[in-house]
Amino acid sequence: MALDRKIAYINLTTGEIETKPIPISIRKKFLGGRGLDMYLMYNHIKPGIDPLGPDNVAFVSAGVLVGTLASATARTHIAGKSPLTGFVGSANMGGFFAPEMRWAGFDHLVIKGKAEKPVYLWIRNGEIEIRDAENIWGKTVTETQEIIREELDDRDIKILTIGPAGEKLVRFANVMTEIKNAGGRSGMGALLGSKNLKAIAVRGTMDLKIERPAEALEYNKRVITQVISAKVSQTQGRLGTPFIWGATNSWGGIRTRNFQANQFEYCDDIEPESIDEHAIGMAGCFGCQVHCRAKYIIPDGPYKGVYDEGPEYTAQGALTAEPGCKNLVNLLVGNHLLNMYGLDILETGSLIAWAMELYEKGILSDKDTDGLELRFGNDEALIEMIHRIARREGLGDILAEGGLRAAEKIGKGSIKYLIHVKGMSNLHSDERPTPALALGIATGSRGSDHLRSRPAIDLYGLPEPVLRRIYSQPVAYDGPISSHWRDYEGKPWEVRWQELCYEAVDCLGICKYHTIFLGPNFPNFEEWSRLLYYNTGLEMSPLDIWNVADRAYTMERLFNIREGLTRKDDWLVDRYFDEPTTRGVPAACGVTIDREKFAKMIDEYYEHHGWDENGVPHPETLKKLDIDKEPSHML
Amino acid sequence: MEQEKTSATTAEITAKGRTTGAVRCMNCMERIRPPLGAKTFKCPHCSFEWRISWPLPKFPRIRGPVWDVNRRLTEEAMSKKGKGKK
Amino acid sequence: MAKVLMIDYEKCTGCRLCELVCSVKHEGVSNPARSRIKIVKWEMEGRYVPMSCQQCESAPCMAVCPVKAISRDEEMGRVDIDYDVCIGCRMCVAICPFGAMSFDTLAQKVIKCDFCDGDPLCVKFCEVGAIQYVDASMVSTVKQVAAAEKFTSIMQKVAAAISTV
Repeated sequence: MALDRKIAYINLTTGEIETKPIPISIRKKFLGGRGLDMYLMYNHIKPGIDPLGPDNVAFVSAGVLVGTLASATARTHIAGKSPLTGFVGSANMGGFFAPEMRWAGFDHLVIKGKAEKPVYLWIRNGEIEIRDAENIWGKTVTETQEIIREELDDRDIKILTIGPAGEKLVRFANVMTEIKNAGGRSGMGALLGSKNLKAIAVRGTMDLKIERPAEALEYNKRVITQVISAKVSQTQGRLGTPFIWGATNSWGGIRTRNFQANQFEYCDDIEPESIDEHAIGMAGCFGCQVHCRAKYIIPDGPYKGVYDEGPEYTAQGALTAEPGCKNLVNLLVGNHLLNMYGLDILETGSLIAWAMELYEKGILSDKDTDGLELRFGNDEALIEMIHRIARREGLGDILAEGGLRAAEKIGKGSIKYLIHVKGMSNLHSDERPTPALALGIATGSRGSDHLRSRPAIDLYGLPEPVLRRIYSQPVAYDGPISSHWRDYEGKPWEVRWQELCYEAVDCLGICKYHTIFLGPNFPNFEEWSRLLYYNTGLEMSPLDIWNVADRAYTMERLFNIREGLTRKDDWLVDRYFDEPTTRGVPAACGVTIDREKFAKMIDEYYEHHGWDENGVPHPETLKKLDIDKEPSHML
Repeated sequence: MEQEKTSATTAEITAKGRTTGAVRCMNCMERIRPPLGAKTFKCPHCSFEWRISWPLPKFPRIRGPVWDVNRRLTEEAMSKKGKGKK
Repeated sequence: MAKVLMIDYEKCTGCRLCELVCSVKHEGVSNPARSRIKIVKWEMEGRYVPMSCQQCESAPCMAVCPVKAISRDEEMGRVDIDYDVCIGCRMCVAICPFGAMSFDTLAQKVIKCDFCDGDPLCVKFCEVGAIQYVDASMVSTVKQVAAAEKFTSIMQKVAAAISTV
């Protein structure tokens, strides 16, 4: 059955490989993917280790529904201690790698030690081999995949790889698959690079048994209808994720010129409709009918004719509004370069925008930039900085260390202008007008992030009864709830709910666009209970799945606390509280986050979790979740 | 358990309240219905004006603000707000 | 009128849901290696092409089969394998010009598309309509309309461009 996939322990120092089955008892507690990764991480990573040293452990996994009939079961999860933040490192990507890994017999890989020379893993139908990677070291993301496929003589091999940025230990390097599917955030690419592990190639032809095939087919069809009938799915399937830009920039939620404005004005050329003029079609990840990945060919300039995919909403903001650039071709080229280097687009764009503000404010000089005029709106400077970060040249080498380390090195009050939480840069969203979204980024376990707990539907002004219906299952909630995105009331519960919703999809291996993220009518706990039952035979109620997510998220909290996280780390930088917004609709204009109200939100958020006022889980919370004896070393 | 699995889920019930052909004004959050194919549309409730695009036939979406109009309206509202405070 | 699978590769998003539902329907498992349809991909160019049995009128597999296990079902418009007769020699796999006849190494038998006996699941699940199940006579009509639409939209664009000069 779909639960018979194994876990493999691979020691790159000694070359030892061991495989084990995953007991059902552990499955019921953590399911798979991110949930089980978090259990493994807490058990296998010793406290206080150097994230780029051989003691860090890399985890690669497929969610428990990956490869089954559950509408978009494509997600690979990669975990380890983050080289960027020193806290939970966690990246999640679509594509076709995870299902292939399951057909090859594995759900979880635990990669320890460090190879003496560059290597890659070759996994085929239950067998794992460590192979020499000297010939692919230094190659781009796509070159690497093409060379491996040729070497192993199978074009259907799926490959997870790092690019040159990961090899250079850029602390926010990605793990990539195909041309643009990125396991971004928290520097998992640098983690693999530090182990001299260039890639993992998988190919499998083993059956993944579907427990109740007829019902699974029928129910999957119903779920697909539910997903694609949503307006957001149809718009996203047409314009890709940049469609979000239209609304967000209209009301004033786009972080512009680092943090100097909350709307990017007169930018028609980089709006989704303009990007769409260069799209040649849409692509989908495994089993997904939303197909939000745009395919494009660069229309002009030195990269004219080059094929790539995206740019996603993230790239759109990180390469336009943040650095103040309005050039569409530049956006497409930047997106392409970052994909080839295997760099986190969001982090890279954000840090370059920060450096631009430092340059304009005189904190960085021409000497620091080696003569590069690092001004907002300078398209060439943006592209040049991408190269320099990936290659660790000059100022790029400093930025490659991540914002906090760079700020320490640059000094001169540069930290004041850095937009981050826990040392990780924020998306190009400006959360000053939206307390719910601000709370989400402040408390995210992997640092500032929109995919950890963002209650995006909070922006839709949904009627209170609708919000209450959504957020009162699978556990009852009768606290305050509010329709307006400017309010502070009731939002901690929304964040808490979304946090567990996203944790659960990551355990299952389903894409976030197939749950309540961008729309209110998407599948969630109830649907997952059914999908689990039909596909794997696991009988878990919606509440059981909620509890798995709660358990896994609390494990992340325990990990972070063990690494020194305190309440102070669940906080925003001063600019959120001190600099009022200047643009957008009147409700979003002239506003900041209120410190006191925000602190109260954090209190309430901790309370919902069963954590004390310092954000430490109460002993009874751990007992209730049955994780009071961790690390338990069951796997 | 089987019985429980065939009923409509909360999300499926919520979906029944879905509207088509309308978008929410990004300022006042009221539902607005731009005429089919319109390139811009002024919100009848709050006068903010939006550029409209049609990703699918009969499917309007707000592409962005009519920059000059909305900027002026925001500035007016802000100066009123400022005076109100004093 | 017999129906055929009409494939429009330009619409294919490469998601491979067709492979998944095909293997689940026929074998009760998720395993694209046992699917009767396959998406051939050029990932780095964004080209995806669904490949399946064309149910040839004059089928090479039928001609080459040494034990006459393959026949044409005119009513369904499909090429059938009689597994009671088939000896698993794989000559049909070797000769098929589309690679549409596969050998299932787990079941030790040749496999090919059977239209799911008249209700092809791949079609049902392909929301973008890259695979459709239509009357054989309709294929060219559909393609004519699509081509004509493309042609006229280009003409309209050109006309619009000229009028704005």
